[in-house]
Amino acid sequence: MSSKKIYERPIITKNQSGFMNKFGSSSLVKPKVEIDGVLVKDLVDKWGSPLFVISEKQIRSNQRNALRIFKSRYPKVQFAWSYKTNYLKAVCAVFHSEGSWAEVVSEFEYQKARRLGIPGENIIFNGPDKSDSALLNAINENAKIHIDHFDELYKLIELTEETQKKANVAIRVNMDVGVYPKWDRFGFNYENGEAWQALKRIITSRNLKLIGLHTHIGTYMMSADAYKTATIKLVDLAKGLKNNYNLNLEYIDLGGGFASHNTLLGQYLPAEEVVPSIEQFADAISSGLFELSGSLDELPTLILETGRALIDDAGYLITKVLANKRLSTGKRAIIIDAGVNILFTSFWYKHKIHPANETGVHTEESAIYGPLCMNIDCIRESIVFPNVKKDDLLVIDYVGAYDMTQWMQFINMRPNVVMIMQDGTVELIRKSEDIDYIEQQEILPATLKNFK
Amino acid sequence: MNFLIDSVLFSYAQIFFSNRKWFGLVIFLVSLLTPKIGFLGLLGVITANLIAYFLKFDLSKIRSGFYGFNGILFGAAVGYFYELSLSIVLLLPVFILITFFITSVLEHYLAVALNLPGLSLPFIISFYIFIIFLSNYGEIQFSKNLQIFDIPTDFSQPVSIFLKSLGLIILQPSVIAGLIILIAIFFFSRILFLLSIISFIVNFYAIKIILPFQTDGLMVISSVNSILVGIALGGSLIIPSRKSLFLVIISIIMTVITIGFFHQVFLTSRLPIFVLPFNFIVLLVIYSLKFRRDHTDLTLLYFKPGSPEENYYYHHNRKARFERFKYFSVELPFFGEWKVSQGFNGEYTHKDKWKFAWDFVQVDENDKEYKNNGNKSEDYFCYNLPVLAPLDGEVVKIVDKIMDNPIGEVNIDKNWGNTIILKHAEDFYSAISHLKEGSFEVKVGEKVRKGTIIAKCGNSGRSPYPHIHFQFQLTDKIGEKTFKYPLGIFISKSDNEKKLRIFEYPQKGELVKNIETHKIIKNAFDFKLGNKLNFTYEIKNKKFEEEWEVKIDIYNLLYLENNFGEIAYFSLSDKMFYFTSYVGKKNSALYYFYLSSPIIPFTFDSELSWKAPYSVTELTNTKLLYLNELLLLYKNYLRAYGELKFIENEEDDNSFLIITEIKMKGFGIMSFMNSTKRGKIKIDENGNISEIAFYEKNKFIFKANNNLEKK
Repeated sequence: MSSKKIYERPIITKNQSGFMNKFGSSSLVKPKVEIDGVLVKDLVDKWGSPLFVISEKQIRSNQRNALRIFKSRYPKVQFAWSYKTNYLKAVCAVFHSEGSWAEVVSEFEYQKARRLGIPGENIIFNGPDKSDSALLNAINENAKIHIDHFDELYKLIELTEETQKKANVAIRVNMDVGVYPKWDRFGFNYENGEAWQALKRIITSRNLKLIGLHTHIGTYMMSADAYKTATIKLVDLAKGLKNNYNLNLEYIDLGGGFASHNTLLGQYLPAEEVVPSIEQFADAISSGLFELSGSLDELPTLILETGRALIDDAGYLITKVLANKRLSTGKRAIIIDAGVNILFTSFWYKHKIHPANETGVHTEESAIYGPLCMNIDCIRESIVFPNVKKDDLLVIDYVGAYDMTQWMQFINMRPNVVMIMQDGTVELIRKSEDIDYIEQQEILPATLKNFK
Repeated sequence: MNFLIDSVLFSYAQIFFSNRKWFGLVIFLVSLLTPKIGFLGLLGVITANLIAYFLKFDLSKIRSGFYGFNGILFGAAVGYFYELSLSIVLLLPVFILITFFITSVLEHYLAVALNLPGLSLPFIISFYIFIIFLSNYGEIQFSKNLQIFDIPTDFSQPVSIFLKSLGLIILQPSVIAGLIILIAIFFFSRILFLLSIISFIVNFYAIKIILPFQTDGLMVISSVNSILVGIALGGSLIIPSRKSLFLVIISIIMTVITIGFFHQVFLTSRLPIFVLPFNFIVLLVIYSLKFRRDHTDLTLLYFKPGSPEENYYYHHNRKARFERFKYFSVELPFFGEWKVSQGFNGEYTHKDKWKFAWDFVQVDENDKEYKNNGNKSEDYFCYNLPVLAPLDGEVVKIVDKIMDNPIGEVNIDKNWGNTIILKHAEDFYSAISHLKEGSFEVKVGEKVRKGTIIAKCGNSGRSPYPHIHFQFQLTDKIGEKTFKYPLGIFISKSDNEKKLRIFEYPQKGELVKNIETHKIIKNAFDFKLGNKLNFTYEIKNKKFEEEWEVKIDIYNLLYLENNFGEIAYFSLSDKMFYFTSYVGKKNSALYYFYLSSPIIPFTFDSELSWKAPYSVTELTNTKLLYLNELLLLYKNYLRAYGELKFIENEEDDNSFLIITEIKMKGFGIMSFMNSTKRGKIKIDENGNISEIAFYEKNKFIFKANNNLEKK
């Protein structure tokens, strides 16, 4: 605490009648002065605001914890980093150095993984969109191709017949796990027998080698039991393959979808209290897998494509207060320099936001808006927040997942991304955009050049 | 004919506990220095071996000289003591027959019933019979004018006594015979060479002190006995060591006393003492050594004997590499990596009767055992984790219904908590304690396989925070005294050093986990009876093709044999492969494979390294080893060990490599002898051993490729 008292702008708060909160009224919002030992202020001084910050230490710790938790419940576990969650090279490289494979859903992501030096056999190729050339390449590089629909299956048969190459394949299965919404748009359905049809078709084709089963039951799953149901249904298919075709699968891929500690917009209680722990997900999945009998050596490897739960809390967004203003209702609004174009997840989450320096004890219900001149640019509709001044820095937590892939260049440029390395140094891992970068792809037709 | 020659030459070699044909030949030639003695000896051995052959005794025993050497001694002794006459020549075969029968009875009785060598006892007995029998025809008259061939030398008296004594072992008491034998002994074994000299010196002074009134004749006969005692006890029947040398010195003093005893006993009968004291002392010592509780010192030979050097290297290599190999390959009773929170002789509860037990907990990367604030069992990482059967077995006891303790408290009333006891074999049980109430997945009487989930980790009994207690014991009692038994194979991590541990004991503070089976590596080394492999290679521009086949012998030992008759014995478990011994030339693909894959775990992890000891004779044939062998009775100044590791995707193909760095290191005066060799085994993606390569001093010397299509 500085010796000098902090100046607080006078505010008027309405007196609420009713019971007092027995825990008192201390501010729930704690300042976040540093990230991994690096002062937020120093980061902004050097790299500007807004600024995405990723903690290498946190990624490694998340991945190691998850691996430990799963490996102590099931002997063979392999994680595959879900590229779409965050495919910045540095992030992927940290995951790969922890032993993760790559899980990609497009040719572009596939190429990213290959460029990072991931061998084809350690790439899981998911998704409904795989071009012929992408498939051919994946076949040649022994990638694990997860088939999404019959048209893709027929295409694969055709391509492997033409080239006389073998392809390592699995199918994606969708199923009813008692959770709404039911994700039945990807893969083959379990309940109506479509999945079994697809498996039979693969087994009868000469050039497809069936090596696994895959499902991905949803995203931000709040129920661990759903995973047990999903696992048991996949295990049932695996048993069918073993009994009818004496086929031992190399792996069963349970996809991703574990919830992170971000609170959803509609949620009342904070995520920490309602979201199942990774232990619970792991218990559910491993207990399902042990329905498979046989020696330990014969058990399939469990593949997990966990994305969000491993990266979300390793990402921070530092932003600067542009202005304070009063809305017509009297509610305070804070305008910051990070908008929804770079914080896409604010459409889903009630992000946790901290001031980056000590504030006074008084808080006020506020709205936090971004800098875009668009009505939708709202980061928090309502948050009880202490007084902050123009140019104060704020830190938004849990922005590691999806924000750095779904962000867009809109009205403003996308900012710098830095990584705080394990040794405490800071590395720039993606440069902020400038007008040249944006315009280099643009072509102005000659006829329009001299419009004056 | 070859068989006959072999059996004769090996018989000669046997007299000096040697198994070398060339050595037998030298002894035979030396015996011819005095032709009369030599030819009668030859007659003796041929007759004995032919008798054995026609009576259909074990051919390999006849060939090894087992039945023949007493015949030599008998024949030679007759030539030495008697004038040749027709009657004696006619009697000779009859007595050799007698000698043979005594041999077969004695050898068999001593070998089978007492597991002792027969030595030259049969010769002594039958020769006494011979002498006493001849006394029917009058006074015992020994030949007075026997001329032993010798050449004049000017050695000092003790040296010439020494050499004559050596010669007298084959009844050629001459300096020249002794000299040739001594040189031959040197080339056969440096240890025996030293032992014969040391034995003589000890004997020389022992006689002077104990029997100062001795005659020269007694000195010679005492030397013969002492040298033989030294050769037998110092290195031929016992693994040579400093202690065996000490035993030799003590035994020679006893021999001298025995000489004094027999000298008086035989004074009236005029029977010669011969090597009776040697037989008496050696059998006495060897037999009594068998009754010890601990055989780590003065280890008696427990395998087919070679030269003392070979015995030494074989024994120590086996001890280093395989002593710890046990029948049961126990695994850690959990998935994933756990930490040993209390090991053997632990500071909390693993004391006295319960000192051979382990406590395991799980920790995160920051060495913390729990998340949140650790005041609930659920906060602890290990709580509720599956606990597995460490070995195949039967569930014999389950204690359940004991509640988990609040963190920090212990249940001293039921201190073992919820416990499961598995029976793995007669008198071999394991117990796992502090399990979670109601978590048992098996029932009493159920048979479980290694790795089956049997319960979950809890916090019951004397357990202030969740952990499991794991021990072996000899009965099914809860709280039974612990029994020390190692884990088969596991990976340990401490101070960031990752090691593969084979039949060892996890130590406190180590992070330990089971190995994960890698199918391709397992496939490559999981040799099944009848499997064939075919390799081609070039040596000096000549092409060779070598075929291996997996075979099994009558003792159920598996081995690889190539088409040149070279053999490499190996052992297999569910998690590893290891070679036990190799017999054959040092230039075949099998030899290089043997060197390159001493111990292979069926896993793949490029961070892992492990060690395997080698015997220096497996690595080199150089005569420089003689120097080391002259010192071997004191200390082995040469060590060799291999460091193995896995390497993936060199040259970016899909193969797996196993690299062995074999280092031979000399210490002290042998420090000039250092060498590094490197073996490389390539395994293709289908689990075939596709290439064997070997390097010396980083220079490539051998490479064999698998002819996969021939498999």
